[in-house]
Amino acid sequence: MPNIIACFKWVIDEAYIRAGSSGELDMRSVNYKLSDYDRNAIEEAARIKEEHGGTVIALTVGIPGGTKGLKDALSRGPDKACFISDPSFENLEPSQTAAILADVIGRKLDYDLIICGEGSSDLYARQVGPRLAETLGIPCISFVQKLTIDGNRIIAERKVEEGIEVTAAPMPALVTVVPDINNPRIPGVKDTLTASKKEVITITKDDLSSAYEPTLRTVSMTAASMERNCVKFTAEPSDITAFIEALAKEGVLR
Amino acid sequence: MDFKLTEEQELIRRNMREFAETYVDPIAAEIDENSRHPGELFQKLAAGDWMGIPIPTEYGGAGADYLTHALVVEELSRSCSSTGFTVSIHVGIACMLTLLFGNEDQKQKYLIPMAKGEKLGAFVLTEPGAGTDVMSATSTAVLEGDEYVLNGVKTFTSNGPTGDTYFVFAWTDKEAGRKGMSAFIVPKGTPGMQAGEHFNKMGLRSSQTSEMLFKNCRIPKGNLIGKEGAGLMLAMTGFDHGRVGIAAQSVGILQAALDESIKWSKERVQFGKPIARQQAISWMIADMATDLDAARFLTYRAAWMKDQGVPFSKEAAMAKLFAAEAAMKHTTKAVQIHGGYGYVKGAKVERLFRDAKITEIYEGTSEAQRMVISGNVLR
Amino acid sequence: MAGVWIFAENLQQTAELLSIGSDLASKLMTTTSAFLIGNTDSADDCIAFGADEIMELPALAGDQPLDAYIPVIVAEAQTADPDVFLIAATVRGKDIAARLAARLKTGLCSDCIGVTFDEGNNVLEMDRLAYGGAAIQKVACMTRPVMATIPPGTYKPAPQQSGRQGTIRELQAPQPSPSTVLERRPKETQVKDITESRIVVCAGRGIERKEDLSLVQELATALGGEIGCTRPISEEAHWLPEELCIGLSGISVKPDLYIGLGVSGQVQHVTGIRDAKVICAVNKDENAPLFGAADYGIVGDLYDVVPKLIEAVKKAKA
Repeated sequence: MPNIIACFKWVIDEAYIRAGSSGELDMRSVNYKLSDYDRNAIEEAARIKEEHGGTVIALTVGIPGGTKGLKDALSRGPDKACFISDPSFENLEPSQTAAILADVIGRKLDYDLIICGEGSSDLYARQVGPRLAETLGIPCISFVQKLTIDGNRIIAERKVEEGIEVTAAPMPALVTVVPDINNPRIPGVKDTLTASKKEVITITKDDLSSAYEPTLRTVSMTAASMERNCVKFTAEPSDITAFIEALAKEGVLR
Repeated sequence: MDFKLTEEQELIRRNMREFAETYVDPIAAEIDENSRHPGELFQKLAAGDWMGIPIPTEYGGAGADYLTHALVVEELSRSCSSTGFTVSIHVGIACMLTLLFGNEDQKQKYLIPMAKGEKLGAFVLTEPGAGTDVMSATSTAVLEGDEYVLNGVKTFTSNGPTGDTYFVFAWTDKEAGRKGMSAFIVPKGTPGMQAGEHFNKMGLRSSQTSEMLFKNCRIPKGNLIGKEGAGLMLAMTGFDHGRVGIAAQSVGILQAALDESIKWSKERVQFGKPIARQQAISWMIADMATDLDAARFLTYRAAWMKDQGVPFSKEAAMAKLFAAEAAMKHTTKAVQIHGGYGYVKGAKVERLFRDAKITEIYEGTSEAQRMVISGNVLR
Repeated sequence: MAGVWIFAENLQQTAELLSIGSDLASKLMTTTSAFLIGNTDSADDCIAFGADEIMELPALAGDQPLDAYIPVIVAEAQTADPDVFLIAATVRGKDIAARLAARLKTGLCSDCIGVTFDEGNNVLEMDRLAYGGAAIQKVACMTRPVMATIPPGTYKPAPQQSGRQGTIRELQAPQPSPSTVLERRPKETQVKDITESRIVVCAGRGIERKEDLSLVQELATALGGEIGCTRPISEEAHWLPEELCIGLSGISVKPDLYIGLGVSGQVQHVTGIRDAKVICAVNKDENAPLFGAADYGIVGDLYDVVPKLIEAVKKAKA
């Protein structure tokens, strides 16, 4: 009966980001969401619990306002949540997130298995899982598309360039999962309502054993301009001819 | 004033949107075309506790508020108005009547399976000669020993062919006038009750509608819901709740009409530019968006008042009247924006247009809503 | 000792990283060192590509994962204190880089797509994409070594220079990893790699039926190019293998000519074609975002346009 920690991040939904007039990011009307692949991480934890028993804790680090994210995560099956929160945790870089999670997991939580999404929808750095495992000193299998519990070890199918690498590791261990691993459930009404009643352990900055300064500094964050001057044509035969002539002129038809 | 939904309401609405996109959108056109009741979909709705949202958990529901139920009917109707309505009448009238007026035995026996979505409720009031004029009904219920004997013909019964638990209205004392009608719970399979064929309707085609025939249909005395003579009051209370659902259904239709119109008008090029850049079209869309917000806020207010425990009969009528008429008006505009492409089967606006019309008719016509509203404000 | 370090899974990737690595090393006035995995034959090639030092990692037993090397690499880095450590952003590379960064307590720029050296401040600034490709995040690492993973194909391989001298050093064999590889399964179907294709015709959500992909293929064939697709076609409809899925979570292409057919142009997809020389869009939605990222566009139904294009291309080529 494994004790599982599923990590998640409450992120800006990138669909709401607009480019401002001078290349800055316009975040005025953004909405937040549970980071896409973290839904798979939580689903996998819930699935294993349904099969093998045990407990699932949803763990996140963020700013105090993110209570909707906790409810969203808890509505997907975890027994309780652990929220490491501080107003200064708005723009943590991966080394800080991993260090803070490791600090809390190492000192306060019992676990056999930690499941993370392969990367977050916002920064998609794909560092937190492996960094966390390394800091805790436990085996790490990343980019997993199929996971099985086999006694005291896990067997994971990793998606690598040439195909599949089936890897086994003794628990406690950490995996990061890719979206192919499962189809996250759509929480029912009661799932959402009972989520609000589940226990949330709140941990503040003062409870951490260090300040965890950033190792990476964001110099700038600008809208990615992929704009080109589009010459438009219609589907009329003369336009099709003009289009092909334009391509020929570019030297791309050979 | 706070126009913000709670976090739970926002999450539940988003989950229903995902549910509708995953399970409803792919079949919506097919169940309309074939007038089919999608049993498989209702099993999924039941599994997600979507069939008894405002019913307390001890009676099989989800234990949320009425506004949450309205949000869910809206999101469902945005994908399929028939499905949204079936949930609306099942919850808003069948479940709510049992919750409000049923005794403990009736709640245990009938409400729990309905709120869990295992049984579907149906509202059996309208008769061939008694629509808005409920008092001209002729169906009767006569007490014989421990049983009531029901006789009469009902029509336009939503969920008639597919229902499990019927709420039937009949005279127990015609002479007593407004205090002479009573309401009864009749389970499916009761001898003497027979559902007719599903009507071949203009719109809302997958919602099953039929005649209901009662011929010496004997039910136990214990199936009287509320007091004898309280039937009309029950029916009106049921309508108050149901109308919030129809208003929400209309809001869902309006939202879908707006979604489709925005998408199409940006795509369709005439005179060398997308038609969205023609003022004639963009102003139609502006009006549509404005009426959508007005309809939505009227609807949410009525649901919110219900949740506050204050009278909401007038507000439910206003929401239903405005939202239904706005849905009809703007689905017409949405077809207009689509031109010929909106007139052929397969265009979602074509289905929305047909589905919208019924919202001005059932659970009280627009004229009946005006009677309720004027009766309140001229009092 | 310091230097610019390089770790990649194969010689091609090592040569690419040596291209940017040597450039940085000359600006930092230091040397380059490359790890080589269990294959001493390519040490000389690596030196020719620009490596000053080769650190040979002994071959692993068959059941050992690549991350078994982590403790050996950490030990070397702790002794040598490199300035910069570049790692090829393969699946295993990304994993190893993050774990090395944790052990070395340093910052890591994931999926770095550009590096600039600010000489005045002696700082390396690295660009990467964020928010699904909607934003470019420029980061600087405040700790040593400065680490980055760089996607294969970002840089052209360094040119081979004959007569270069370098040192070769064999590192100790690692301890067995707690993880073991039980099985390696190659991909069931070998799909053509289109990352280097000169012409790519991309199928988007506007394709209505699987059979209609033949239309896309026909245009690709007429142009002498290959077929690619967007995420809905491979991941949702499963009409094409995921190896052909272009975008943030798939592959990046940089052809001379890219034509998107019924491709709306979600930022996650456009990110994968940003380095194409000429981008064309065919879409009936004039507001499709892809037009904004395209050089040429045809506003029209692809089912009408593509047959006309095929004819026109055949005629132009005849």
